[in-house]
Amino acid sequence: MADVQIDELDLQLIELLSRDARVSNRKVASELGVTEGTVRGRIKRLQQDGLIAFTAITSFGMAKNSRLAFISIQADVDRVREIAHEISGLPMINAVMITMGQFNILAVCLISELDQLVETASDRILGIPGVHHVETSIAVKTIKYNARMAKITSRGVVEDDGD
Amino acid sequence: MTQPIQLDAVDHKIIEHLRRHGRASNQQIAEGLGLTATTVSSRIKRMEEANMLRVVAVSDFSAHGFNFLMRVMVEVDGRPASQVAHDLAQIPEVFATHLVTGRYDIDMLVALHGLEDLSSLLLEKFSKVRGIRSLVPSIVVDIVKYQFDVAPIEARS
Repeated sequence: MADVQIDELDLQLIELLSRDARVSNRKVASELGVTEGTVRGRIKRLQQDGLIAFTAITSFGMAKNSRLAFISIQADVDRVREIAHEISGLPMINAVMITMGQFNILAVCLISELDQLVETASDRILGIPGVHHVETSIAVKTIKYNARMAKITSRGVVEDDGD
Repeated sequence: MTQPIQLDAVDHKIIEHLRRHGRASNQQIAEGLGLTATTVSSRIKRMEEANMLRVVAVSDFSAHGFNFLMRVMVEVDGRPASQVAHDLAQIPEVFATHLVTGRYDIDMLVALHGLEDLSSLLLEKFSKVRGIRSLVPSIVVDIVKYQFDVAPIEARS
């Protein structure tokens, strides 16, 4: 994170591609007033540096598991990383963060039925040695969510040219 | 409102391909799935127009200079939680806001450039929102997994 090299052109490119990633390099180049080669090179570098990734986002409505829920966890501090990794491998878990605060792990999951949340939180997570307490809450309504910004964990997957 | 459409196996295969290779050409997708490029193109267009699919660049928090993430749980008092949540959602640093069940009423994620932004966020932005009884923050120290390819999709302007 320390030495992220990003300039104004990179940010303009990111903004454009975050609206629609399937525009051709030619169109991007003409919109930004640069050459296709520049666009291609910039995209490649941003991907290699793990700063952008291209993906398909589908709407909540069509997903089988569309109910977002938060599981807040208190776990042994000296095993928190191991425990977080173990939780990240469980089904339906979409995000796991190690936090400092009232809880030391936050797990976010997408479920379809309430009993899946109980099973994940109260059985599987609470059953992990070193986990002492879990609290669940269900997102009843999402007021704001920016899916275009994320933690990119798969670094350097370079894709096609978009020609 | 856009009418939802029924997706079939071909649509799902195209989506799976796009999740891994968002910028693959219609021709490349077609070859991989045994379809024609025209079919691929029209299927993608149909799903996009129904607001069921977006193929986008997702950028890392660090690309925007956000090096400090916080989860903040909010307890609301004396005002409908949905109104408080809408006010909080107007704040640019707040990038996710959910109304939740449980001990707290609102769960949000906040991205900051650094710790030095915290005082203006609290004293100039959160403090202007009426109805906040308490804010319980957790500092995100490591993200072990972050996989969101399902999200609310807004209509294109």
